[in-house]
Amino acid sequence: MESPAQTGSQSAAAPSAEPWRRRFMRTMLYGRNVDRAAKAKARVGLAIAGFSVLYAIIAVRLVMFAVVPESNIARRTVTKDAVATARPDILDRNGMILATDVRTPSLFAEPRRIIDVDEAVELLTAVVPDLDSNELRDRISTRRGFAWLKREITAKQQQDIWRLGLPGVGFLSENKRVYPNHAEVSHLIGHVNIDNQGIAGIEKWLDGRGLAALHMAGLAADRLQRPVNLAVDLRVQHALRDELIFAAEKFKVKAAAGLIVDVDTGEIVSMVSLPDYDPNSPKQANDPLRINRLTTGVFELGSTFKALTTAMALDSGKINLNSTFDARGSLRYGKFNISDYKGKNRVLTVPEIFIYSSNIGTAKMALALGVEHHKWFLKKLGQLDRLRTELPESAEPLVPKKWGELNTVTIAFGHGLSIAPLQAVAGINALVNGGLLIPPTFLKRSKEEARAIAKQVVKPETSDKMRYLMRLNAERGTSTRAEVKGYYVGGKTGTSEKVVNGRYARNKLLTTFTAILPADKPRYQILIMLDEPQGLKETHGYATSGWNAAPTAGRVIARVAPMLGIEPRFDLPPADQLILARVRP
Amino acid sequence: MSMRLLNVCVLILLVVAAIMVYEIKFESTLRAERVAKMRADVRRERDAIAALRAEWSALENPARVQGLVRRHMPLGPAQPTQFDSLDRLPARPPTVVKPPREDAIATMIENPDFTPPTGSVFAPGRFDAR
Repeated sequence: MESPAQTGSQSAAAPSAEPWRRRFMRTMLYGRNVDRAAKAKARVGLAIAGFSVLYAIIAVRLVMFAVVPESNIARRTVTKDAVATARPDILDRNGMILATDVRTPSLFAEPRRIIDVDEAVELLTAVVPDLDSNELRDRISTRRGFAWLKREITAKQQQDIWRLGLPGVGFLSENKRVYPNHAEVSHLIGHVNIDNQGIAGIEKWLDGRGLAALHMAGLAADRLQRPVNLAVDLRVQHALRDELIFAAEKFKVKAAAGLIVDVDTGEIVSMVSLPDYDPNSPKQANDPLRINRLTTGVFELGSTFKALTTAMALDSGKINLNSTFDARGSLRYGKFNISDYKGKNRVLTVPEIFIYSSNIGTAKMALALGVEHHKWFLKKLGQLDRLRTELPESAEPLVPKKWGELNTVTIAFGHGLSIAPLQAVAGINALVNGGLLIPPTFLKRSKEEARAIAKQVVKPETSDKMRYLMRLNAERGTSTRAEVKGYYVGGKTGTSEKVVNGRYARNKLLTTFTAILPADKPRYQILIMLDEPQGLKETHGYATSGWNAAPTAGRVIARVAPMLGIEPRFDLPPADQLILARVRP
Repeated sequence: MSMRLLNVCVLILLVVAAIMVYEIKFESTLRAERVAKMRADVRRERDAIAALRAEWSALENPARVQGLVRRHMPLGPAQPTQFDSLDRLPARPPTVVKPPREDAIATMIENPDFTPPTGSVFAPGRFDAR
């Protein structure tokens, strides 16, 4: 410490009279002749600028943290889901699960981190026996960073592999599609591939609706997607399938198919095509025998088509229920000879033609109206164009290129025009529901929605007459074996010979039966189709529709009508009174 | 002097603010972790529910139930004749009242207000009124 006296004396001597040590420091730091005040000012300015920038950055970061949601935190837990491929559940009309996602582990390897390949191969094949050891060795011998070893292993296998303590082996949980009902709804909902992408049926339709894009973007990891409600009723579906399996065994058929459609809404309540497959093991689906015959197959539906011809005749106004046609002998057309199966050989009225299923009579009805009218009517009912539904699979009808009189004659009774059975069902729906053509759907639809897209194709009176004819047929025509007491069934049989090597084969038949339920005010239409049924002792060797498809339809109706909420009534008038009551007012 | 007091106050405030900010930050981190954990839990629960629901619907599959019923129960499909409407339901059969064991006439004499149960039945229409 310097004394005040000393300081005073020195300051007077010179301004630079500092202690030598301090002067030395100043010289070293700032140079000899620098104005310290100016320098300090500049330095403070620099510091202000520096801190401003710093705080600005902090402020901006804060704003960014506040604006961008806490996505980073949420994402951290999802890293274990490799493939974001969640799919919405598919439910039936009552909320029963048809398809759902279950999380299963999948096994992967990081080949770079595997130390002993031989040991890994040996241990893994011991735990997972269906791993091919050569393939496994190839996969983990590479220097890659990632390789799938086995998709969808069981929880027990996962545990066992954990216990092995192998380095470079890990699990990712993936969504696996599960179909708890196995084959029951196979063709309808379709199936998915190993990456959970829909490749058939409603599953593919879901992907087409934007789910595929979601998967691409990796956003479909969550289960919170809205489930899809279909129109199908699982109980009805089971009953129909059960009866079809019974019929298929009894009549030794090659294939069988059944369809139940709501007449007023076009909802497909049930659709079965046998043989079908289990969507849980979709390899079977590639078998061409297992195609969905109702939408992807086209068939000559035989006499079922007479319903369309008869409706055309009645709707034209030129032919009424009392018109008569000569059905004697056979109808010769060029080199073709058209005759009736067990023909009556007399003049028949329109109802008689319908219930005895007279080829000659129906052909003459169509001829009376002309080729163009016939073509126009079928076009109007959507029988000549491809019918598209939600299902990606559909078939183009086989329409003759040159449509002459002979074509009209044969098409009138269902030969020479091959269409998908679903298409025929949609057409016949229009004939019995009051004349509205409603495109069939696999999704739920209300009556109002259906009416909004419906097209009036035939007059309501024609529809009444068709109901009468179909009821009459069940009372005394070819469809009597489909009658179930109390449910007032109406129907039309159809038997067509299959084409083998360009010729109609007499012993290879395709039998169909179209039923309406109940016939006085139809609510459901049921189609049964049997491919090559055999004659049995109890059917007296006959293999026509009335002996196999019609009784099958009867059994189906007896089983499904209570489920569909149709009350049995035993006080119903015979068909003749039905039409009288309708026509009188 | 007053300047120094102000400085001290500001310093104390600063320290308090720093502590509070630290507290809040710590709390929020904890909560964020809890949220993440709960999300993971919810997810796991949902997956478990989905697996159970899948199993449930496999168990109540109509084909399976039908097989079980055929094997274990004498039930068959419902016939149309087994259905009927509610308004055709007959009225409940009348209940028969047993006459009492003791001497009714003696009771009547003792107790004039007593109407003895006669063993007759109620008219079907009167049933609702009771």
